[in-house]
Amino acid sequence: MIHFREITKIFRSELLGQPFTALSNVSFEVPEGSMVGFLGANGAGKTTSLKIIMDFIRPTSGNVEFSSALGSNRQEIFRNIGFLPERPYFYQNLTGHEFLSFMGKLTDLDTKTIEDRVRLWAPRFKIDHALPRELKTYSKGMLQRIGFLATILHEPKIIILDEPLSGLDPIGRKELKDVIVEVHKAGKTVFFSSHIVPDIEEICDRVIFLKNGNLAYDGSVSALMKQAKVQDFIMTVVAPGEIPSTIKLKERLDLPESLTRFTVTPENKDVLLNHLVTNKKSIVSLEMMKPSLEEIFYNTRGTHDPQ
Amino acid sequence: MTLNKTLTISYYTFKEIWKSKILLNVFFVGIGLMIVTYVATEFTYGVPERVALDFGLGMLSLSSLAISLFLGVGLLSKEIESRTVYMVIARPVPRYSFILGKLIGLMGIQAVNVIILSLMTMTATKFLGGEINGLILWAIGFIFLESLMLLLVVVLLSLLANNILSVLFSLVLLLLGHVIKDTQEISFVKSNPLVVKILEAYHFVLPAFYKLNLKDFVIYKNELPLSYLAGNFTYAILYSGFLLLVVVFLFQRKNLD
Repeated sequence: MIHFREITKIFRSELLGQPFTALSNVSFEVPEGSMVGFLGANGAGKTTSLKIIMDFIRPTSGNVEFSSALGSNRQEIFRNIGFLPERPYFYQNLTGHEFLSFMGKLTDLDTKTIEDRVRLWAPRFKIDHALPRELKTYSKGMLQRIGFLATILHEPKIIILDEPLSGLDPIGRKELKDVIVEVHKAGKTVFFSSHIVPDIEEICDRVIFLKNGNLAYDGSVSALMKQAKVQDFIMTVVAPGEIPSTIKLKERLDLPESLTRFTVTPENKDVLLNHLVTNKKSIVSLEMMKPSLEEIFYNTRGTHDPQ
Repeated sequence: MTLNKTLTISYYTFKEIWKSKILLNVFFVGIGLMIVTYVATEFTYGVPERVALDFGLGMLSLSSLAISLFLGVGLLSKEIESRTVYMVIARPVPRYSFILGKLIGLMGIQAVNVIILSLMTMTATKFLGGEINGLILWAIGFIFLESLMLLLVVVLLSLLANNILSVLFSLVLLLLGHVIKDTQEISFVKSNPLVVKILEAYHFVLPAFYKLNLKDFVIYKNELPLSYLAGNFTYAILYSGFLLLVVVFLFQRKNLD
């Protein structure tokens, strides 16, 4: 749906300052119907990329193309996009209801449709009680939720969210994630940025990872997880006694109640198991340690899954 | 369709500013105007209606310029800083439509300000035995146009510089625009051809606000040829149109980061 082609963005500071390269020849695409997570540490270039997609800023080189499914001109394309900026700040003196009407009218919705959709979604976001109040009285979580409602009010084909979960409490995060999944299941393409890997891991089927303004990974989450090698095994044993020095242990930790926890490499796992079974030791647990998506990402250096 | 969106933006801009209670200040200025007028007329012999008119138009002018200056400087820069602009232009709204809507909304507030203070001024003038003639209405209209020109100047500068510099530069231009005519009459200036040329060139580039100041004519002469009024009216409209084009051009190309 969105083709981000060879984009470079250099911010030139004024006078004698050094230019700063925020994005360096970055290309990726957001396929129709997908739920794509846009990952990267703070300052990796995520928000800059989203601003370029939304035409808030222009790239130094490269271009953004929208598929014909979104429309043939800017008006049509933007009618089919729902965008929620990071830490949205709204018109403080408007009520929630006025704000939603404002946003709805800008996307060519008539008053009745706006009312119907607000009635449908506001209870779902638990802000129906607050709609007659001015936005300056809203909490951060409520602002995030009304912002999200405004984003989906016109039923766009693609939803672009910049750090939608930041600043929300765990319940608020869960609720918003549920709604994002629900909207995606209803056929919308979702593209959202976050610097929190578990959020992406939990709900996205595809991930784009930026590192210092460069594309570090673009592909499916499952493919990336498959690439991850088993790192270590952790074995908890009751009173194991001495372990022969021929068995290489990475770590031995004696715990209360005669328990001992061993960390071994995959190559030494079977040797240790054999030794323990032979000596009739009681094995409480055996865990395979796989790196989390977060660990994989922060060790990723420019990989690309062609799927 | 785009016109509808422009009007939608202007309506909500008006509503947002209206609800910020800025016009409450206008109400207090009006009350202050009445009190000052009453006190001043007590110390004036023979022409209390002129004093009322002088104070009234002066206050009207000052409050309109203050609204243009201080609300105008944040009209776009505040939107960009607080990212509210993203919520609007991420929708099928052209940038020029956004900026036009914002300007029309603020000018709506300006119109309310002008109407309230004008009515107060005319009521006080009439009450003190003065006449309400057509020139007073022209003067009020010109004050509105002056505030429009200043608004466009400050919005334009806010796209190029920070808020403090924008306000300072706008004030300097306002001051220059009012004293330029009198400066041309100074004998030192008249005797220096280069300075004469520079001041003539000024008229072609920078705003000549003095053309919209009819207060002295209203208070002392009560008449002006229609050609003078029409000429200055046309100047204000054309110059505002030129400023608007520059503002739209700059905003279309501005990186909103």
